[in-house]
Amino acid sequence: MSRIFYDHLIIFEEVDREIKNVTDLAEEREELWQLIDEIIHHRVLASILDILPREHHEEFLLSFHESPYSDTHIVYLNKMIKGDIEELLRNEIKSIEAEILHEIRGKGKRGQ
Amino acid sequence: MGKLPTQTYFDIAANKVDAELLRQRLKLVNLEAKRHIKERHFHAEEFFKSKGLDIGKIREHSAKLIGTGALTGALLFNLPTELKLLPPSYEILQKFATAGSSTENSKEILVDTLSSSLPGRVRPLSRTEEKLLEQVFQNVIGVPARATLESEHLNTTYGIIGIEQHLRRFPGDRLQDHGGNKVIREGMAPGLSAWGYFAQSKQALTKELEDTEKWYAVVQTLYLSDWDRRQPYLKNWYKYRKVLIVNTENGNAVIASIADSGPAAWTGKHYGGSPEVMQSLGGSAYKKGPVIIFFVDDPENEVPLGPVEYNNLDIAMLRN
Repeated sequence: MSRIFYDHLIIFEEVDREIKNVTDLAEEREELWQLIDEIIHHRVLASILDILPREHHEEFLLSFHESPYSDTHIVYLNKMIKGDIEELLRNEIKSIEAEILHEIRGKGKRGQ
Repeated sequence: MGKLPTQTYFDIAANKVDAELLRQRLKLVNLEAKRHIKERHFHAEEFFKSKGLDIGKIREHSAKLIGTGALTGALLFNLPTELKLLPPSYEILQKFATAGSSTENSKEILVDTLSSSLPGRVRPLSRTEEKLLEQVFQNVIGVPARATLESEHLNTTYGIIGIEQHLRRFPGDRLQDHGGNKVIREGMAPGLSAWGYFAQSKQALTKELEDTEKWYAVVQTLYLSDWDRRQPYLKNWYKYRKVLIVNTENGNAVIASIADSGPAAWTGKHYGGSPEVMQSLGGSAYKKGPVIIFFVDDPENEVPLGPVEYNNLDIAMLRN
């Protein structure tokens, strides 16, 4: 079982369709999926730390490491940032999706 | 004048990003994201380094933690608002016994039971919840279904299923040979399944393999915490493994066969179903929805693939 507390915010259906078109091989497909997953985790964590006051970073990191799946992080972050963390992450996730789609569809196709 | 079909292949190739090129580009994006954390939040990078963990691998770390928690029976997920007191299994079975054996009654009670026992948002279930559902499925649907079979457990047993395209069964397979209009409109997947072709030629495609593709399911084998470590055993174990899929919103149930890996975690889905599976679960417009998926304990290969007929249920014994 794998679950991260912000999974429900990430729905990259278009990226999924594009990746399926890029390769016929399941192994290659899965490698690309994993790379995108890694990008998401780095970017989302950076966004959280950007907005979370510095004095709460250690507490959050410790708790996130202990239970990355727990929904309680949403409650904690909302309280500490005095805002809606899900809304903020949704915006960041949208921009990640746009960047990935740009990489897939953008310049540098075969022969260019 | 249009181009000859043989010439259009060059256009398709020219418009397609090479997988290796894309891999390189995504690696660069990933490196940039890592650099950002290192520069702006050095303490965070140091923290994860001290734990021996790369933040990019947090999903694997989570899988290990959840796996350990499930084994010890720890309640990992529930917020107080999500806690639901599970009714005893005999109470649920008694409801079915007194309601009569009609399909509609059984489905209705099953849906009521699921909505009263499951959390509102999909998540991995605890062993207690899974054990209760195993008994309900065994006694009400009549299928010996197990959340854990031969010590194997899916990435999650309660999640969102999404519609998939048909899979190429053999080299040269054509979409129009996959069934009626309703199911072929989903198209054919551009790539092969995680286990390749079902047969090496049309002649080698048996009725059993044809049904396997027709009633196929996709599960996230790639996120199993021991997937890389236990090869080739796990890949063989999961190949065409039968699963029971139950739509938690209407009680429709299907026996399917695992024939591909996925979907990616960032699609918002946890499983996939062939067009036929999805049609059986929710009708021709059904694209996505919450389901329970358990392995079917069928060592003699006696449980047929396809929709589960509630009318065939033998619940008479429950009344005794």
